[in-house]
Amino acid sequence: MTSLGMGIGIGYMIFVVLGLIITAVVLYSTKRGRRDKGEGVDIGKAERAEPWWALFIVILLGVLLAFTIWRAPWFQDNGPGQRVQVTGIQFGWAVQPTSVKVNQPVQFNVTALDVNHAMGLFDPQGRLIMNVQAVPDYTTTRTHTFTEPGTYIIRCFEFCGYQHHKMIYPAFKVTA
Amino acid sequence: MTTAHPPVPPAGGLPYDADFALDPPLALTQTRTRRLVLRWIWTSTAFLGIAGVLGLLLRLGQAEFISLDGNLWYAIMTAHGLGAFIAWAGFFLMGISWWVLFKCGFPIRSFILPELTYWTMVIGVLGIVVTTLLGGFGGSWVFLYPLAFNSSGQWSDLVTGVFSASVLLAGVSILAYCAGVLHTVISPALKAEKDTLGQRIGLAFGFGLLWPSRFKTKRGVEPYPVLPLAVNALDMFLATLPFALLLVFQIIQSADSGFSINTLLAGNLLWAFGHPVVYLLLFPAAATYYYLIPRYAGRPLVAGRAVAVSWLIALTFNLFVWAHHLYMNYPDGNDVQETLGTIMQPTTYALVLPSAMSLFSLAATIWRSDFQWNAASKFLIAGAISWLVAGLQGIINATSAFQDTLHNTLWVVGHFHNMAFLNMGLLIFGAMYAFLPELTGRPHFNERLGSWHLWGTVIGAYGWVVCQMWQGLDGAPRRWSRLPETYMDLTRLSLVFLAILVIAQIIFLVNLYTTLRRSPFDDPSVRQGPEVKQ
Repeated sequence: MTSLGMGIGIGYMIFVVLGLIITAVVLYSTKRGRRDKGEGVDIGKAERAEPWWALFIVILLGVLLAFTIWRAPWFQDNGPGQRVQVTGIQFGWAVQPTSVKVNQPVQFNVTALDVNHAMGLFDPQGRLIMNVQAVPDYTTTRTHTFTEPGTYIIRCFEFCGYQHHKMIYPAFKVTA
Repeated sequence: MTTAHPPVPPAGGLPYDADFALDPPLALTQTRTRRLVLRWIWTSTAFLGIAGVLGLLLRLGQAEFISLDGNLWYAIMTAHGLGAFIAWAGFFLMGISWWVLFKCGFPIRSFILPELTYWTMVIGVLGIVVTTLLGGFGGSWVFLYPLAFNSSGQWSDLVTGVFSASVLLAGVSILAYCAGVLHTVISPALKAEKDTLGQRIGLAFGFGLLWPSRFKTKRGVEPYPVLPLAVNALDMFLATLPFALLLVFQIIQSADSGFSINTLLAGNLLWAFGHPVVYLLLFPAAATYYYLIPRYAGRPLVAGRAVAVSWLIALTFNLFVWAHHLYMNYPDGNDVQETLGTIMQPTTYALVLPSAMSLFSLAATIWRSDFQWNAASKFLIAGAISWLVAGLQGIINATSAFQDTLHNTLWVVGHFHNMAFLNMGLLIFGAMYAFLPELTGRPHFNERLGSWHLWGTVIGAYGWVVCQMWQGLDGAPRRWSRLPETYMDLTRLSLVFLAILVIAQIIFLVNLYTTLRRSPFDDPSVRQGPEVKQ
């Protein structure tokens, strides 16, 4: 799993646990509600808290937006480097050249000849490190600098037909 | 189910039910609505059975316990996706909307549109079943253009044409449903003081809550369940049109191979519908939560103006979120998709508000209430918890920066099963436990079996969903009939949980069967639930 994947998983679990704790408190409160027949609470308080809850959510989402939007794939530096042309066609990949140098930017130019495909690039440890859509009639460019030599695998990440799961390029080399 | 039984009296005591009297014409409407909704429930539940078996076959195939070679796995995947999402969950919630509206004092004004909704969906689903399972169409439920015309010999253009026409019929069903709901909510039932169309529309969309001096109703309090149904009806009517256009294009191309459209345009037409359709399920589910939870809590929904504002936000932004499904489509020289992606991350975040405000309202309604616990209310609570759990995943999915890791992985599959099955699905079961006794006139379900059904469903479905989400975070691609070997252990583990899930559904069917076999109850007050305090 990549560090981003791990981070997403851990961050998500923190919010889930917080949410479940709050839920448990709310559900437990019905025990007290049973004793006082549900009449021991000021409903108006909850109604007054409603706008503050909305504001809290807006701030939380605003912070997440501010931290992430600039990291959208289309805002990344997709500048020049060793050029690699990747073309998807049912059910295989044409990759040219088939090897690149480590620690130097690599510019992938990704396209498709028939239907939509996507280039899922896996590192030698089997971690998904990049995902680029291959759209017929269009070229999508992404630049990546490999820091680790070895054999990388490309798997198709957009459903493209009955042999989709066999659309694998097994040996993209990154050399020292 | 035509058992004669006394009409269900007004569900007691919530402010918006206060003047809902059953005069003879309304009692007749009630009988017709009851029969219609029951037909809807049985049909959608049958679709669940078929789609569920297909889903099980998919996972058994991935675990290599059965052999689904070639195109078959993908054809089943296509049928399962449309069957479970639209034909079961979507169809059920469309059907139960009529009953929720009726119970809020909004009887169906004309049965033509609901009947059109029902029959176009049924015929459309049958067409989908035939073209996928017999015709071999295996393009997935999104059939990302131009895949439907590049089948590698697995199905013909004729099959694509019939499949597209069948999905189009399901789209017509959604349009008819939306028109029917709008026709019903913009009715005299709101009793606007100035009975003009503008006043009725304003009240239906919650302006009575926001601006009570301008939008006055003689009913006193506007029923909250009407809000999400009205918003959904208007939005889905508009969102279905571009998708219908795409389907028409596909039908034309299936007859004339010289015709084609731009792939990016096709993607936008697809997702302009493909995301909002989630709300075709979620918003009627929200309406059902709004209707049922206050009854079990014994007090009106705790909600103020912020809830009404959040639904207006949903009304606006629901139509402008589709590009988050196209985050990875940013080809060189096409600034439009990049701009759409940049704009539609915050608009998608905005749609968190109706969910966050609804969960707050439901929690405040339950807080220190004398809550009535039974099979129905337990399912509703479990569904609402899943709304939170899956909603948080939705925020992650809406974040463009995470797409290198998440796009088209099993994380996404786990997410929508979490949302569709464990939020909307549990709500559906809860609604069946809550409404079926009064709809059929039969005594209540067996509570113990209901609890077993709940726990089996929650443990089984969460176990399976967590396996998928973990695999996804680890890079497992979605829509692969055979996953790379590294993911096999979790795939096989998930089958243990699926077995628990299947057993739970068998328990439900036994409970349902025994319930329906019982004699009609004599006392209609059995299903009136607790008194609601003002």
